[in-house]
Amino acid sequence: MSIEVKNVNKRFGDFVALDDVSVSLPTGQLTALLGPSGGGKSTLLRIIAGLDSADSGSISIEGTEATHLPPQKRNIGFVFQHYAAFKHMSVAKNVAFGLEIRKKPKPEIERKVNELLDLVHLSQFANRLPAQLSGGQRQRMALARALAVEPTVLLLDEPFGALDAKVRKELRDWLRRLHDEVHVTTVFVTHDQEEALEVADEIVVINQGRVEQVGTPDQLYDAPANDFVMSFLGDVTTLGGELIRPHDIEVDVTPGEPGAIEGSVSRVLRIGFEVRLTVLTDVGEVVTVELTRTNARRLGIAEGSRVYLNAVLGATRV
Amino acid sequence: MIWFSLLVLIPLAAIIVKASGGGWHTYADTLSNSQTLDAIKLTVGTSLLVTALNMVMGTIIAWVLVRDRFPGKALLDLVIDIPFALPTIVAGLVLLSLYGADSPLGLHFANTRSAVFLAIAFVTLPFVVRTVQPVLEEMETDVEDAAASLGASRAVTFRRVVLPTLVPAIFAGASLSFARGISEYGSLVLLSGNLPHRTEVTSVRVMSYLEGGDTAAAASVATVLLVVALLAIVSLDIIARRVARRDGRNG
Ligand SMILES: Nc1ncnc2c1ncn2[C@@H]1O[C@H](COP(=O)(O)OP(=O)(O)OP(=O)(O)O)[C@@H](O)[C@H]1O
Ligand SMILES: [Mg+2]
Repeated sequence: MSIEVKNVNKRFGDFVALDDVSVSLPTGQLTALLGPSGGGKSTLLRIIAGLDSADSGSISIEGTEATHLPPQKRNIGFVFQHYAAFKHMSVAKNVAFGLEIRKKPKPEIERKVNELLDLVHLSQFANRLPAQLSGGQRQRMALARALAVEPTVLLLDEPFGALDAKVRKELRDWLRRLHDEVHVTTVFVTHDQEEALEVADEIVVINQGRVEQVGTPDQLYDAPANDFVMSFLGDVTTLGGELIRPHDIEVDVTPGEPGAIEGSVSRVLRIGFEVRLTVLTDVGEVVTVELTRTNARRLGIAEGSRVYLNAVLGATRV
Repeated sequence: MIWFSLLVLIPLAAIIVKASGGGWHTYADTLSNSQTLDAIKLTVGTSLLVTALNMVMGTIIAWVLVRDRFPGKALLDLVIDIPFALPTIVAGLVLLSLYGADSPLGLHFANTRSAVFLAIAFVTLPFVVRTVQPVLEEMETDVEDAAASLGASRAVTFRRVVLPTLVPAIFAGASLSFARGISEYGSLVLLSGNLPHRTEVTSVRVMSYLEGGDTAAAASVATVLLVVALLAIVSLDIIARRVARRDGRNG
């Protein structure tokens, strides 16, 4: 296990930012810290990096006890949401910074910088200043800068948070490919569940300073430990008092299966290829159901239709 | 532009015209007067020294004001501006009562060159602090954290990351501080004693020329000051650009 966080507590004044957090993050993997805003993700990441200190608990990185090590000695790479570029230095200088600090020989620095700029596709911008780059390019520069020191772990705090949706998606795929190439243990913070599900090998869900669940994207999606994880990872609705995903509900216009819940459609909303129904059941529950357009047409559903709702086989319910 | 002309260019032109009204020999005469020359040397020398000091101290004070947390910080932040807000003659009185003949601190600077230094340092202190402070406030701590994560010690981070960002502001403050220093009058007339060749500064010299009715000589000293100030501002600007670029693109 690469990063071991044990019983970490952190308060800001009276506010408990991390409440007895223990988690181990596996070597060589891409792990996402996922959770709502204010949950404590950045705090945990900064404590791992040594940029903040825990009130109690311990951190070890690749078997090295790191709790009291300053950030300079932890051999980590850190990427910030707002790039934290050294504005007065060229792109190449930014990337070279960590190597110059380590007093590496000039030719080696040059070779390494070129290699990294190649890796992040910024070779032709080597002599530009950060201000002359787009947000996405700046973040790739920051990534190259962090990778230059060959960190044991790479920590990214909402690295794509400041970018627009399209660039965000591009960079996220690119980060995944980069990780498959470089294999450095990587932890990234996000509050976007889609981003975590798509990119991460493992997800740690953090809420209100506590770890709610740790698992692979499939484990989390298919077997959420509680209501919170269930609802944070995707849309949910209630059926028969249980949380269920709207697309896990089967709709019928005839009372087929026993135990089906009867109700009438109060609203039909078409979004692209799918149709979202709001159903008011006879016992007074409001249920959201998603089905494909073809299905909806086949069933002839319109506002006011009587419907019978069932959870599909193998549906995730909490 | 018109506003700028009215405010700055016209009075400047007037001074130069006034001084050149007497032809070159007015300049030559005035400048070969050893009392005047000593006054100019003292003023420029002291202002340079004070400016250098302000660049260091001002940056440190700005740093403390922005980054440190301590009781009384808000008060200190307010106090910084006092030398600036005080009418200079009042500043002079304050200095006289603190460091004059019956100094409660036991420090007697009256009629010495230290008095000139002290007075100029007092009134120019806020300049660098106030130009650097907003830049520091704007600066994200992320940048310093990034440098730390890359292995840079606090000292290296300051020198290679923080300082280059502050350089333009430090030098801008230095220009203001120098310009103010060479023109200072009110705060030092009382404490310095205005001893010819020793503690008499240029502005006092100009004043005595004026009192003697020799406006042409006064204007030519003023012109010299003007040229010195311009030279200083331009060279500070050039140095600032050099320094900012040194760590920059290549190299
Ligand atoms: N320096 C600080 N002083 C006081 N409170 C802080 C400080 N840093 C963080 N907090 C508080 O701790 C809590 C957790 O903050 P943190 O930044 O870790 O959240 P996060 O999960 O990263 O959220 P986001 O997704 O919005 O970045 C927040 O409620 C925040 O207000
Ligand atoms: Mg955060």
